[in-house]
Amino acid sequence: MSGKQIIFIALVIAILAFLPVVIKKDNIINLAVYVLLFVSLASSWNILGGYTGQTNLGHAAFFGLGTLATRFLWMAGWPLFPSLLAGGFLAVALALLIGIPAFRLRGVYFAIGTLALSQILYITIGNTLPMISSLPAQDLAVYQLAPRYYLFLGVALLTIGTAYVLVNSRLGLGIMAVREEEDAAESLGVSALKHKLLALSASAFFAGLTGGAFAFYHVGYYPQLTFGPEWTFDSMMMAYIGGTGTIVGPIIGAVFFVILRELLVLKLAELHLIVFGVLFILVVLFLPGGIVGIWAKILKVLARRSKLKGARVSP
Amino acid sequence: MLEPMVQNLVYGILVGALYGLAAVGLSLVFGVTKFLNVSHGEFLMFGGYASFWLFALWRVDPFLSLPLAIVFLLVIGAVFYKLLFGRMVKLAEGAKIQNTLLVGFGLSLILQNMALRLWTADTRSITTFYSGAVWTILGVRLPIVRVASMGIALVVIVALQLFLRRTYTGKALRATVENWEAATLMGIDIQRVYLLSFVMGAALAGVAGALVSVGYSIDPTMGMSWTLKSLVVMVLGGLGSITGTFIGGLVLGVTESATGYFLSLTYKEVVGLVLFLLVLIFRPQGLFGTKEG
Amino acid sequence: MLKIDKIDAYYGDLQALWGISLQVNEGELVALVGPNGAGKTTTLRIITGLLKPASGNIHFHSHHLDKTAAHKIVELGISQVPEGGSVFTGMSVLENLELGAFVAKARKVKDQSLKWVYEIFPRLEERKNQRAGTLSGGERQMLAIGRALMSKPRLLLLDEPSFGLAPILVEQMFEMIAEINRQGVTVLLVEQNVRAALELAQRAYVVENGRIVGQGTGDALLSFESVRSAYLG
Repeated sequence: MSGKQIIFIALVIAILAFLPVVIKKDNIINLAVYVLLFVSLASSWNILGGYTGQTNLGHAAFFGLGTLATRFLWMAGWPLFPSLLAGGFLAVALALLIGIPAFRLRGVYFAIGTLALSQILYITIGNTLPMISSLPAQDLAVYQLAPRYYLFLGVALLTIGTAYVLVNSRLGLGIMAVREEEDAAESLGVSALKHKLLALSASAFFAGLTGGAFAFYHVGYYPQLTFGPEWTFDSMMMAYIGGTGTIVGPIIGAVFFVILRELLVLKLAELHLIVFGVLFILVVLFLPGGIVGIWAKILKVLARRSKLKGARVSP
Repeated sequence: MLEPMVQNLVYGILVGALYGLAAVGLSLVFGVTKFLNVSHGEFLMFGGYASFWLFALWRVDPFLSLPLAIVFLLVIGAVFYKLLFGRMVKLAEGAKIQNTLLVGFGLSLILQNMALRLWTADTRSITTFYSGAVWTILGVRLPIVRVASMGIALVVIVALQLFLRRTYTGKALRATVENWEAATLMGIDIQRVYLLSFVMGAALAGVAGALVSVGYSIDPTMGMSWTLKSLVVMVLGGLGSITGTFIGGLVLGVTESATGYFLSLTYKEVVGLVLFLLVLIFRPQGLFGTKEG
Repeated sequence: MLKIDKIDAYYGDLQALWGISLQVNEGELVALVGPNGAGKTTTLRIITGLLKPASGNIHFHSHHLDKTAAHKIVELGISQVPEGGSVFTGMSVLENLELGAFVAKARKVKDQSLKWVYEIFPRLEERKNQRAGTLSGGERQMLAIGRALMSKPRLLLLDEPSFGLAPILVEQMFEMIAEINRQGVTVLLVEQNVRAALELAQRAYVVENGRIVGQGTGDALLSFESVRSAYLG
């Protein structure tokens, strides 16, 4: 990463860190919370989906388990951070449990297998825990938004940071080799299964953490909610529209999604989903790199133009 | 003691026929084009709404409007194939499977939300003057509408089998399933075969949806549930076998009913999915299927 | 009738054919021989349109084959029996043959064609309602050739028809191919069994590593030194 990029990132983090201090309006902070939530969810989905090419349609299962575990433990008296970690690790446990049989499924069956699994959890939780989970009165009284915001910020940074480190490591190379040409990678001694499991576990862990943050954040919700398929689908679409297989892609996608939703929410309901769906299809059919890909192409064209004009180009 | 169980079995079979019909549509597309149309359930939903509105607005009997529902879905299927899926048939196997999955999924989201906006989230159902009619045989209740629906599903499936076995186009389709290159060498236009199978799959979904709207109920979000059910049945019945798929539908219907009866209603929806995962892991070729997927 | 002119072909980024040129005249039986992986099958795929050439062109009578869609090539009168036969195993022998006559003008004369094919391959008539998957290797090859004949081709492309057959069946197979040629069907035969192919063919081309390295009459090539040592041992 170049010096300019590091400065830029530090600036962004600084702005995000000081946001609640400067802006006192709750609805803006809540919006920021949702952006950070989706950044984490989309980025964690992308670790598996974007970098290994395995389309996981059951991402919500990890998110939901994280929420479930954290809420349960925290409301039972555990301190927050162990509860969060428990949520993350429970998600990883599920990932390891289903990973081995799941990765034996070829082609499209992995995707629908994971979807089936998360639907099973969704329906079962909905049936076994139909009651709303509400924060007791004494916790409501001392509820503060700022800590919740910082938790989401922390989880998002952790997710992105880990994704970055992972991708740029030897493991990351192995993961991408598996995506490009699994058999070739295997013949070079790269264990496809190990790498996929690793990516799946990382993906699950951060989805679980995000779920835990959600449990800390929401005052009252139905436990079934976070297992809902829309969390998976939204995350996936964000990653694609932003640009799968990049670190920045899911971030852009998440920001874009939440802002679009805010803009359109005053219009007729769920219009943002239709718009997003159309964009998603356009990306899959015509613009495989998503927004990041388009941006890269634009930069290339501009660079070529500058070269033609004889001006010096700095990358 | 036996009676409620038999009744339960009967209800399971009646709904299972529709599961089978829907699954055959999905299986047809998958067998020929090798891609999985995950917006299949939304096609079914649209078939249901077509039937519903024809009845609600112009009092057209839902069984009589079936041909219209078929035409409607043939058109929709053709439109979406040309717009979307047709663009992906030339891709390499892996990319084709992945991208058609994603596009189908995006389409299902769009269709679902369009339906929500156009027709609200209310559950709809068609009630005709004969909707309440029931045959009672040996103490077992057979709702006439559902029996007629099963009958129609059977007729459609038999017609499909005849088409595939007896007509040249049908044989061309079967040949494409087996070996598309050899089929091309016979002069078969694979692109047209793909289009044909896709619209036929959509039409089958439409018929199933229309029958669901009169015998059961429809709502804009039913799509994913029916897509999953079709998938479950497709995997249960094994690819490459229409009869097997239909029987798989009956199996699912009965299993769901039995689960609802013996365990609890809450797990009815889940048992199919669990069965699906078990079959995928332990017997990928399905209960009846041939080895070739 | 068939003229291939300086064809270059690629599989992805890999070049498979370099400047291939060959010609088949009406009524001939021409062989295309060479070792495994030389590009023989690739050449056939170029002719039938399953693979498009990167440069060069192909003429069949006056038609530009390289610009024709694969499924239209049959209508022009070219029929291929792919490697291994590729019969539709889930369908009966009769259904396979019927599919061979898929194109409209062949469909009209389907029954006559069937009689003709049964004359050449009586075994197929015996087994006409059997599932093709239950046939033996030799019978499947017969079925594949019979199926190709159902489209009443003017040019028949055969890809390794003797592959995997027992020696006595190989002899029978080539006898049948010769008979088909005698009945007026032009044949382009791709074969690894060089001796048999060269004995059968009037003319032949030798392909190696994607290039034509020799051509001539069957007899001339049979006696040509390098061919003998390389392929006939």
